[in-house]
Amino acid sequence: MIAQLLLTALLALVLVYAWSAHRTVPIIGLLASCATLAGLYFVWVPEHATALAAFVGIGRGSDLILYIWVVISLLIMLNLHLKLRVQLDMITRLARAVAIDHAKESRREAGPPRKRRQVMLGRKAAEASPIELQAKK
Amino acid sequence: MSGYERPMTERLNLGRIRNPWVVVAAYNEAPVVGNVVSGIRRAGYAVVVVDDGSSDRTGDVALLAGAVVVRHPVNLGQGAALQTGIDYALEQRADALVTFDADGQHSPVAIAALLAAIEPPGIDFALGSRFLTGATVNLPVSRRILLGAALWFTRASTGLPLTDTHNGLRAMTARGARAISLRQNRMAHASEILHQIAQSRLRFAEVPVNIEYSAYSLGKGQRISDALAILIDLFARRLYR
Repeated sequence: MIAQLLLTALLALVLVYAWSAHRTVPIIGLLASCATLAGLYFVWVPEHATALAAFVGIGRGSDLILYIWVVISLLIMLNLHLKLRVQLDMITRLARAVAIDHAKESRREAGPPRKRRQVMLGRKAAEASPIELQAKK
Repeated sequence: MSGYERPMTERLNLGRIRNPWVVVAAYNEAPVVGNVVSGIRRAGYAVVVVDDGSSDRTGDVALLAGAVVVRHPVNLGQGAALQTGIDYALEQRADALVTFDADGQHSPVAIAALLAAIEPPGIDFALGSRFLTGATVNLPVSRRILLGAALWFTRASTGLPLTDTHNGLRAMTARGARAISLRQNRMAHASEILHQIAQSRLRFAEVPVNIEYSAYSLGKGQRISDALAILIDLFARRLYR
């Protein structure tokens, strides 16, 4: 009974996770929910698990549930991996924007040491060739 | 200042290309990046160095040597740094871009040859090759075998008939650069660029370039284990798209 309650609690957690994942990655949420519900059912009706296990060629029902758990874990890992990739992509874009803004800012600051150039820069900074700007540094 | 005049007139002879930018991605290259940048500046080109979150003085050295420096606040990888440099150069209205390695194995002389190759209308990429006639001294055998394997992989997956697939020296027009969007932050970007060139259906040319392998650049180069990591990166990217 203790083991069954414990497993139920754990599987319920997975179910919550699957529900939250369902919104972002529907396929993973759906698969995880199905597997978790099947797991819950077999935890409470182990005879059916044993029967099904025997049917698919696994010795005991508890082994079958263990395998289901492993599959769920793998699905969660895959989902996390996907999220990490998306985050790295976002960090890259963020860092790129920050880096380019900084560079533009510091070039503007370092820009006009002499008056004559200030006039030129003020009028057509965007059109001025970067070579000229750099060469005069 | 007068030092720039002679090379600049040379550069303007290129005709259609009026504002070429050289993009250098650098990570902890302080010992060599200064020479690389001043070499490119002496040849008369604007250069943007993307300091990819270096822990040494790479950015400062490049700035002193005359480059525009764009600093990543964190290290993101060579592919990400190149894309940042490309974005920056496009914002500066570059009409042609050249990617150039920071470790000193490329010669600034090659820049003119690459730009000349994208000069004719209709050609948007020029790819440096170590294996066309007239290229590369002292390429080690192990490196040659590794590059051969990469070549086979790229030909099989993109269908591009190239002689050298992992060469950091490339030139592209602004149109070509806009067709490129690197999402492989690490080293797999070399294959990614070729994939995107193939997908863009823009035309490219190969240009023989000489690579000087020094002890420094070999120590920094790719090994067999890196090749494995690149394959995993590429594979993962295909899974998730």
